[in-house]
Amino acid sequence: MILYKRKSSPGQSLKVSLRNEPYLIINLFFTVVILLIIAYSGFFSPEKDNYPVACLHEKLTGEPCFSCGLSHSFSLIVRGRIDEAYQWNLYGMRVFLFFASQLMLRVVFSIFYLRYPDTRKQLIIIDFIGSGLIFLISFWPFITNIVFGILQ
Amino acid sequence: MEDVKNKSGENLGIAALITAIITFVLAVIPCVGLIAIIPGIIAIVLASVGLSQAARNNSPRGMLVAGLIIAIIASLISVSQVFVAGKIAQKADKWPGDIQNIINDVKDNVIKDLEDANISIKVESNGETVEINTNTDKKDREQKLEDLEGGNTQKDDTLQKKK
Repeated sequence: MILYKRKSSPGQSLKVSLRNEPYLIINLFFTVVILLIIAYSGFFSPEKDNYPVACLHEKLTGEPCFSCGLSHSFSLIVRGRIDEAYQWNLYGMRVFLFFASQLMLRVVFSIFYLRYPDTRKQLIIIDFIGSGLIFLISFWPFITNIVFGILQ
Repeated sequence: MEDVKNKSGENLGIAALITAIITFVLAVIPCVGLIAIIPGIIAIVLASVGLSQAARNNSPRGMLVAGLIIAIIASLISVSQVFVAGKIAQKADKWPGDIQNIINDVKDNVIKDLEDANISIKVESNGETVEINTNTDKKDREQKLEDLEGGNTQKDDTLQKKK
């Protein structure tokens, strides 16, 4: 599959194939995964409460966990009911924003990757560090929960 | 042929890295963190196979190493979720006992307060007022009980034997 044709020198064209670009394959895969998450949130309704994924933590311990109500929260965010989303899960919004930002970043970084082949290495490093930081900020409550859970 | 082998190593690297990243995100979420160990093991296996292939073909290993490291960290986080869940379950066993103790304390306090309470009942009917004041002081009641029992205790309340 040829994605992009670039003229490297007059009269020559460089074909960029998806097969030869692992970074683009990974970006494409995560874009599809995030779109599936959004589709899942849109498909299952909070009124019907027909979510197929149950909380294993609650089943094992009998106690609700930090991420309980995350699916409800996502569904409500997709429907624009932000206040209700906060009531279902306090951290739902920041986790949803992580996925939304990743969706945007995958598209933007892929375009930059194709447009500026000379800066690909720097682009991947920036992507790795930036996505890591966004992940830490978004999932910080869950990470601290694990750390305190182990230390206590 | 060499190119085909390099390609399969690269494909394994891509698969390992994608699985490792997904495992990492899943492992941090408590609801599904416990099952993240399954893709974690898959990612470790993929990365290990890819690394052994890369070692044989002398092909680049960057993506495979990254996938392996992320998969190992994600699997450790997933395993730690089991410990966190176990500790919460232990606490959940202790909580009912603690709650029962608190309820017993409150009950004892309420009974003690009632024992020392002054009760006043006022009834008004057709202009007539009847007021009953009583002190339920435990000490007074114990004293009254002793006074009442004082006379009776002299009596022999056992049944007379039949002759």
